[in-house]
Amino acid sequence: MNYEFDWPLLLEEPNWGWVIEGVANTIQLSLMAWGFALVLGVLIGAIRMSKSRLLRFIGTTYVEIFRNIPLLVQLFLWFFVFPLLLPDDLMRAWNRLDGVPFFTALIGLSLFTAARIAEQIRSGISSIPKGQFLAAYSTGLTEVQTFRHVIIPYAFRVMIPAIASEFLTIFKNSALTLTIGVAEVTGAAKTIEAYTFRGIEAYSAASLTYMLTTASVVIFMGWLEHALRIPGLIGKR
Amino acid sequence: MTLPLVQINNLSLRYGDFVALDDVSIDFMPGTCVVICGPSGSGKSSLLRCVNRLENFDKGDVIFDGQSLKAAQNISKIRSNIGMVFQHFELYPHLSVMNNITLAPRYVNGVNRDEAEAKAHKLLERVGILDQAKKYPNELSGGQQQRAAIARALALEPKLMLFDEPTSALDPEMISEVLQVMRDLARNGMTMLVVTHEMGFARDVADEVVFMDKGKVIERNESGGFFDNPQSDRAKEFIDRVLQKI
Repeated sequence: MNYEFDWPLLLEEPNWGWVIEGVANTIQLSLMAWGFALVLGVLIGAIRMSKSRLLRFIGTTYVEIFRNIPLLVQLFLWFFVFPLLLPDDLMRAWNRLDGVPFFTALIGLSLFTAARIAEQIRSGISSIPKGQFLAAYSTGLTEVQTFRHVIIPYAFRVMIPAIASEFLTIFKNSALTLTIGVAEVTGAAKTIEAYTFRGIEAYSAASLTYMLTTASVVIFMGWLEHALRIPGLIGKR
Repeated sequence: MTLPLVQINNLSLRYGDFVALDDVSIDFMPGTCVVICGPSGSGKSSLLRCVNRLENFDKGDVIFDGQSLKAAQNISKIRSNIGMVFQHFELYPHLSVMNNITLAPRYVNGVNRDEAEAKAHKLLERVGILDQAKKYPNELSGGQQQRAAIARALALEPKLMLFDEPTSALDPEMISEVLQVMRDLARNGMTMLVVTHEMGFARDVADEVVFMDKGKVIERNESGGFFDNPQSDRAKEFIDRVLQKI
């Protein structure tokens, strides 16, 4: 291969500006979507364990719908189809909004990831031995106190790796939102490539950005797991 | 006249088609230590779990200290008067031994932390593992874990203690340290219902033995009489089999 690399090109304007905008968008989108997905996922996961049949049905339906349609299709549905279903006035207001692609991406990513997190929560709580519930009830703790003091603190520690891995997934999935016009890292790389024909540099820089960010998340979560480890049980070091 | 602490009236329990308890009626007096034995699947553990309503029974009722459990709205409050010890200890692994013991007194009875810890201190001394207070359950041996679990159950000053096969998951050399703690409790007048295969404990410590089979109480006798002169053939067979093992 006869190719002259031109790395400093990335630091020139407007390329550098696109890189910064891309990184900022990716991080902002992933963090916000993860936050929403965590709250919604805990809620859906909890109602899937509920005693009420109706609530369980709602939870299961949610999970099966959002987990089983490809994310890319979901993003297109939110971006192209959803506004058409709105009443005319609302649709016009929606289209006039600034940053429609970003909000659409946020909705799509959050709802998709919430379904996955709900499943993690459900399996995390199901993994707690039944005897822990019996022991807590036998000492007179109520159901709410049992969850608050025994089951959730225990399950949370079991679930840290899964929740961390969901963040890495949402972070990488955010690249798909370039298809609906979000100027995130991959979008920035595509723009730079289009203007400069320097695809190798642009996509290398994008890859490096993803890897550096995910690596720091992995390190942080490893630290958290270690800090909250249960002595003698999990997270031995 | 003393009233029974626990009165079980026509209690029935099914798991699907399996009949775990079949119209059981029996009562237990305060201050006595009763061993419940029988082959596996005979309903002994189910009976124990009905006494604090960890198991929702289908028919009949349990009266604890004058209160019907079936009708009870405040079941948590009633449970706080009944300590329970499990085969697999069921200590909370993410809490230290100290916090395992103080959790219920603090959140069920609203005792402040210092007071709860002072009390736990005494209990740990009593079961002989005061030096393990700051450790976590999985750092302890099985015998130590079970003694910590007994301390946890005692922390609410229960009127009744339920033991569900407390030594079945222990290595042989750790069984005696747990039995010793239970023996001391019985000597101090605690009302105890003990499901166990430890026939030595039944003979030496228990006041009475209840023998169950197929969800029914077959025989009830004072412990000496049960071993020397069992009334039913089924109990005779059972005693022969368990004593032969030794």
